[in-house]
Amino acid sequence: MAEIIFVGFGGQGIIKSGIITGRGASIFDNKSATMTQSFGPEARGGACSTQLVISDSKVLYPYVETADVLVAMSQAGYDKYEHELSEQGVLLIDEDLVKPKPPRDEIKIFSISATRFAEELGNKIIANVVMLGFFTAVTKLVSKEGMKKAVADSVPSRFVELNLKAFDRGFQHKKL
Amino acid sequence: MNPIITVFSKGIEKSGIKPSKVSVPSDIPFGSEVVNHLGVDFFHTIRGRAIPFGTGLKLGNPALKVVPFVGDLMTLGGNHFVHAGRRNMELLVICVNNFVYRKIGGQPAPSTPVTFSPYSTFEEPFNIPHLGNSCGAVYTARWTALHTDELANSIAEALNKQGLSVIEVLSPGPNYYTKIEDIESNLINFYYENSVIKNGEDPKNARITPEEKIVVGKFTDKERPTFIDSYNAQLSKVLGDKFTPYGGKNG
Amino acid sequence: MKANPKDVNTGVYYIDGDVSSGYGALAAGCKFVGGYPITPSTEAFEAVCRRGPLVGAMFIQMEDELGSIASVVGASWAGVKSMTITSGPGFSLMMETIGFGAMLETPFVLLNIQRGGPSTGVPTKTGQADMMQSRWGSHGDYELIAISPDSPQEMFDYTIKAFNLAERYRCPVMIMSDECVGHMTEKVVIPPADEIEVEPRRFYDGPINEYLPFKPDEDLVPPMVKAGDGYKLYITGLIHDERGYSIKNEEYKFIYTKRLVDKIRLNKDKIIELKEEETDDAEVVVVSYGISSRVAVRGIEKAREKGIKVGSLRLVTVWPFPDEKIAELAKTIKAFVVPEINYGQIAFEVERCSHGEANVILVPHGGAGVHNPDDICDAIEYAAKEKKRIEGVIEYKTKLEKLVFEEGYKLHE
Repeated sequence: MAEIIFVGFGGQGIIKSGIITGRGASIFDNKSATMTQSFGPEARGGACSTQLVISDSKVLYPYVETADVLVAMSQAGYDKYEHELSEQGVLLIDEDLVKPKPPRDEIKIFSISATRFAEELGNKIIANVVMLGFFTAVTKLVSKEGMKKAVADSVPSRFVELNLKAFDRGFQHKKL
Repeated sequence: MNPIITVFSKGIEKSGIKPSKVSVPSDIPFGSEVVNHLGVDFFHTIRGRAIPFGTGLKLGNPALKVVPFVGDLMTLGGNHFVHAGRRNMELLVICVNNFVYRKIGGQPAPSTPVTFSPYSTFEEPFNIPHLGNSCGAVYTARWTALHTDELANSIAEALNKQGLSVIEVLSPGPNYYTKIEDIESNLINFYYENSVIKNGEDPKNARITPEEKIVVGKFTDKERPTFIDSYNAQLSKVLGDKFTPYGGKNG
Repeated sequence: MKANPKDVNTGVYYIDGDVSSGYGALAAGCKFVGGYPITPSTEAFEAVCRRGPLVGAMFIQMEDELGSIASVVGASWAGVKSMTITSGPGFSLMMETIGFGAMLETPFVLLNIQRGGPSTGVPTKTGQADMMQSRWGSHGDYELIAISPDSPQEMFDYTIKAFNLAERYRCPVMIMSDECVGHMTEKVVIPPADEIEVEPRRFYDGPINEYLPFKPDEDLVPPMVKAGDGYKLYITGLIHDERGYSIKNEEYKFIYTKRLVDKIRLNKDKIIELKEEETDDAEVVVVSYGISSRVAVRGIEKAREKGIKVGSLRLVTVWPFPDEKIAELAKTIKAFVVPEINYGQIAFEVERCSHGEANVILVPHGGAGVHNPDDICDAIEYAAKEKKRIEGVIEYKTKLEKLVFEEGYKLHE
């Protein structure tokens, strides 16, 4: 079982990241994936988060108790959720947007300039998909194929190509 | 039989519509013998909700002719009336205006003009045809219960209109158990004799006041797309062939 | 009868509970939805508005919830399966017409995505505090059915079941969901139409002149007709006889009211659905419903790790209440633990039905969130240890409560 938190600010596609990952895991990888979200006025512009629990068996308790993975795309989100990350947790950050504290315990930090790469590809709105590519390569919680299908399924058809490009950009960043 | 019901029956007959296709949601209980006589389906709903109940009937089966007979029209049902006009929902609203809550003791209602209650009232009443017209009704009229021919004609015309029609009937009693001989004939004659027919009058000039003659007549008769027309047009535009237009003029 | 293939969007989806319920309604054959948007139920209304027109279902956004529920009762009498969708404040506005619907024995479904109350409360966060309102909210004696799903898949499955029960028993059926389940996203498998059982309306098929709209069949449910078919229907919210005509006779009032409640009570065994786990040798049984049952699962697991024999009774059907089941369990166990997102509603029903044979421990939650599973585990532990029989409902002080009430009722900084 893996417990994941995505955080950022409203408009970055944080909820969408949760949906894409959940869809990849549950529909294309045939696991169970339960997504819950922090919803409401505070989600608009302020800290916005989504929680995802992925498991090989049915997810019963639907909420994150201790996160295995924290994907942070804003400083405020990082500050708010950092303490929920487990001692052996994995932290993924957009390095231009989040300045992490010195690492505690055995937490591993992986950084990417997701928003800058997205801008280079033509639109910063796909920063979340760059991050998802990176997330997939780092955590291996969902298969690359499953995630790519989920990305393609979750965006309007005319943007599929661009989004897949963004995904690959993030995925390859791990290898660099 | 109450004279308004007799006229309603005549109106249905004149309209050429089968009574079995007419549904009457009302917030006033009709007598069961009245419903049997009319041959319609009758629904005594809760206070003020005859219009939205009728909206459901119409949208559930567009082949029905739905005629809300309303008492609490301008109080509990006021907002429903306003929106039925805006949407041009296909309903014929018949508002029997006796100016007071007669059945429960004669308390003043929002349609009560000044000087009609024991100590007089001080609130401005609604002008129902004017309100209906302003909200978008395609047909408005007002008659007294003694304008039997005119009222029957109006009902027949309105039943064949596409959209919201509003007919206000001035009557001394909405009590459908009351026999004609028990009705206060003086009062009904008073309404009748103190009225003046002005067909085509702008309903804003048809305010009922104790000083002036009561203006009756057919005020509004216009065309506008109905709710179902607009629904079909919009969804056909967006969905194309994937959408099968709903209902249609005759269901 | 099987579902109409046109109504069913067979496939595998990753959607939230609200949307799933909307798809379930259409798959069940719902052809009219009257609603008024209100958080957190809007996604369900949007789902039926988006998909409804493709399958011949009419939707209307009414001027308010008073209108939307009245339109739903009207549409049902026009002969189509009907539904409304709402949350707290809208639910309160609908109460008078829910009783009217029950009185007219009108089949319809009401989806309530519960949010934190009272009043405007916490629109975007969860609550389970409308449970008693769903049972007793309208004036007068009546019975209806309420179901409480706990996952997006169940929102689909049990929305269909809600329509089936409404048609079978000619009564309003409430889906008492909540914001957590409504906004939870999971895989939902929508099966092919030929695997979905739908209950058609119980239409009368005898001679037209012999029809009595309120003459019950053997199971106390009368068959129905629809407006416009020449039955000269006389339908009223006044107490009425089998013809539908209003009556003033006191004995008739007895008979009518009794049938209205008995058609549900005497068919209870056919209506109630429970999910029971490991209750056989349990000392403590957790009674839960909706999102709280998903949270309770963790609490139960933790308690079992500590060696406590704890079973689970999940109320899929909340109303009618499983009195007999609770009474039977009460005889064999020490205590019930009832976690719910309110300050005691279903816990009091459990206490009523346990006849003093077992302790009843409420694990309360003030709303806008769910329990910490540790609190449920602690309550189970307490329940297993407590040797005294304690009267009434015991309100368990959770860690969260202790934290929140550190300084009493003080609210400001």
